[in-house]
Amino acid sequence: MSETAPRPPRILLEEEAGAAVRLDHGWEEGTAPVALPSAGISTLSLLAIGVATLILGFAALAAANYVAEQFARSAPLGWLTLAIALGGFGAILWAVVREFGALFRLRTVDAARAAFARGDLEAARARCLEWAAPIPIAEPFLPALREAPDLPALRALLESGPLAALEEESRALGRLAAVQGFAATAISPAPALDALVIGWRGLRLVRQVAALHGMRPGIAATASLLRRTAFDAATVAATEVATDTAVRAIVSNPLVGHVVGEAATGAVAARRLITLARAAAAACRILPRG
Amino acid sequence: MPDPLRLIADVATRSGEAALALAGRERVRLAVTGLSRAGKTVFLTSLVANLVAAGQGVGIGRRTLPGLAATDGRLRAARAIPPGVEATPRFDAEAHLAALAADPPRWPARTEDLSTLSLALTLRRSGFYGQVLPDREVTLDLLDYPGEWLLDLPMFGQGFGEWSDETLARLGRGLRAAPAAEFLAFAKALPPTAPAEDSLARRGHALYRRFLLTARDELGLRFLQPGRFLNPGPGGDAPVLWFFPMPEAARSSPLGELMERRHEAYLRDQRDRFLDPVFRRFDRQVVLVDVLGALHAGREAFEDTAEALAAISATLRYGRGWLDLLTGGGIARVAFAATKADHVPEVSRDSLASLLSDLVDAPRRRAELAGAAVTVHPVASIRCTEEATALHEGRPSPAVRGILLENGRWATVDPGLVPARRPPESFWNAAYFEMPVFRPPGLEANGRGGVPHLGLDSLLQALLGDAL
Repeated sequence: MSETAPRPPRILLEEEAGAAVRLDHGWEEGTAPVALPSAGISTLSLLAIGVATLILGFAALAAANYVAEQFARSAPLGWLTLAIALGGFGAILWAVVREFGALFRLRTVDAARAAFARGDLEAARARCLEWAAPIPIAEPFLPALREAPDLPALRALLESGPLAALEEESRALGRLAAVQGFAATAISPAPALDALVIGWRGLRLVRQVAALHGMRPGIAATASLLRRTAFDAATVAATEVATDTAVRAIVSNPLVGHVVGEAATGAVAARRLITLARAAAAACRILPRG
Repeated sequence: MPDPLRLIADVATRSGEAALALAGRERVRLAVTGLSRAGKTVFLTSLVANLVAAGQGVGIGRRTLPGLAATDGRLRAARAIPPGVEATPRFDAEAHLAALAADPPRWPARTEDLSTLSLALTLRRSGFYGQVLPDREVTLDLLDYPGEWLLDLPMFGQGFGEWSDETLARLGRGLRAAPAAEFLAFAKALPPTAPAEDSLARRGHALYRRFLLTARDELGLRFLQPGRFLNPGPGGDAPVLWFFPMPEAARSSPLGELMERRHEAYLRDQRDRFLDPVFRRFDRQVVLVDVLGALHAGREAFEDTAEALAAISATLRYGRGWLDLLTGGGIARVAFAATKADHVPEVSRDSLASLLSDLVDAPRRRAELAGAAVTVHPVASIRCTEEATALHEGRPSPAVRGILLENGRWATVDPGLVPARRPPESFWNAAYFEMPVFRPPGLEANGRGGVPHLGLDSLLQALLGDAL
């Protein structure tokens, strides 16, 4: 380093910045979570929409033509045909509305979770109340939820109140399904039938748990719920691994195996139904597990 | 010789923690070490805000700490553990953030007391088996305290006589001599039979304390003992503080004996209040140093900072021996951080880190020899400037630009040459320069979006990466 005096520090004053002006590093945008690009409508969905439109559209057109023909034959016959057509299509429409309603309710869960993540108390409270309204178990907690002063309090009230109660109920449903599943596989004549029985019981269990959380999932909502359940199961199932392993170790013991025979695999499957109940409850939870 | 009862208690605590760690519930104690005004409070505030923002959940957590590997999808949640029945005040990161985001903004005031905060970090395990095992929960214990108190650590290894001799010798040298002249004259005039008179004790204490305050606030010196003379904490000015270093000739007088008793009582009190709860057991240490402030305050202040850091680190235990593993002592990783790195342009930041490395050469080597992993980083806990260019004798030179806190004007600051190692004599010919205080950048009052920083993520990766 040379012995000449180095460049001294200096301050060069510029214009007034204004009282409220702050330096903007573009931090908000720079740190935004990576949003997974939406894949849009999948090919399968597009196919389903096309098939449904063709079937329903042509059926509606055919029905309309048929009603018109019937009116041409005689007015009472026309009115009767119209009533039958309206009844049939009305039922289909109602099913679609219910399906969307169930899907919308799943979105409420997502919206509430997002509101909690944003720290938006008002939105979180509104979503919680909307979510809790149709759930009988949550009813006694509604006044407290309405009065929650801040997010931690709201979170704590939910955790200790409706969520704890719902979790307990979900576990009970899971245990019941496990007993039924085990009994069914123990008496079933073919191993292939076991998988069918457990699969059907698992599906029913997911829908039961969803109903417990105030949802009435149809086919699309159940599919969406199953996807979420599979995602949440990654965490829930992890905690169950030890128990699962213990059950497997016990039932695969030669002595016990001799006693329970083929029911051993059923016991493992039954154990998994309990895990499924917990995963489904986690998917319907208004708060992610913290 | 370690106290056997304390050793047993440490072993018991450590065994419990080891069992919890096996069950996926680990505890990491992070000691944030820094002399006064080094930026400990702001560092902790930024650390808490950025970790909590990053740990809001998979898919919604903000990328506030991209250099910290655990935030790349494994950090599922980060939250402050709600207060229990602790007697120590709670570190209020939210209040500090709100003050920084307020209009007009306020930087945290001088820390007056200890405060603690624990963060619970929920992490998905890595590796194949990690996918089928439950999440880990790492508790990160953080602590804020007055930086002045750190200089009490070297005092624990000295008796009153040794401390007095060392302190009086230091007082007679260089920059200190002028402001300490009145106190030194008083101390040297004390007769060998000085009575234990309260007015004498109070007068000596007042003169010594006045010197300490001048040395800290006007000369930028840091090696000033005892710490509570400068920052008495919540206990205020109690009789236990009314002592001062005494020359050997007067130490056997009744006044000398009183001073020695108070010195002992002071150390006992500091041990109970500060040393035991704070510095007895921790696994990671970050040493924050305002290198630029020390550099601009002149040679003596710079060397004084180096001496103070060496004295503090000499009292800490580094590395991991079997006894340390058993008792939870010993620091496994140390990160030295040159704070306020946003006050120099990007091209000078490596020099800043290199200068810090040279400044803390003694403690760094000591830690490395003991087996601790040591790293040096330039860090700005809250970034308040942007890159700019200033003209110097018609030639552009890199600078930083920000809004000054005191008058709200934009200012381009050219911090001058930042030497990469201890500067030569000619460097110190420049006039004393005080870096201006900048207005904090735009922040969310609730801190959910994190806080703009420089290098905090790579520091945390070096310090905690293996534990997360």
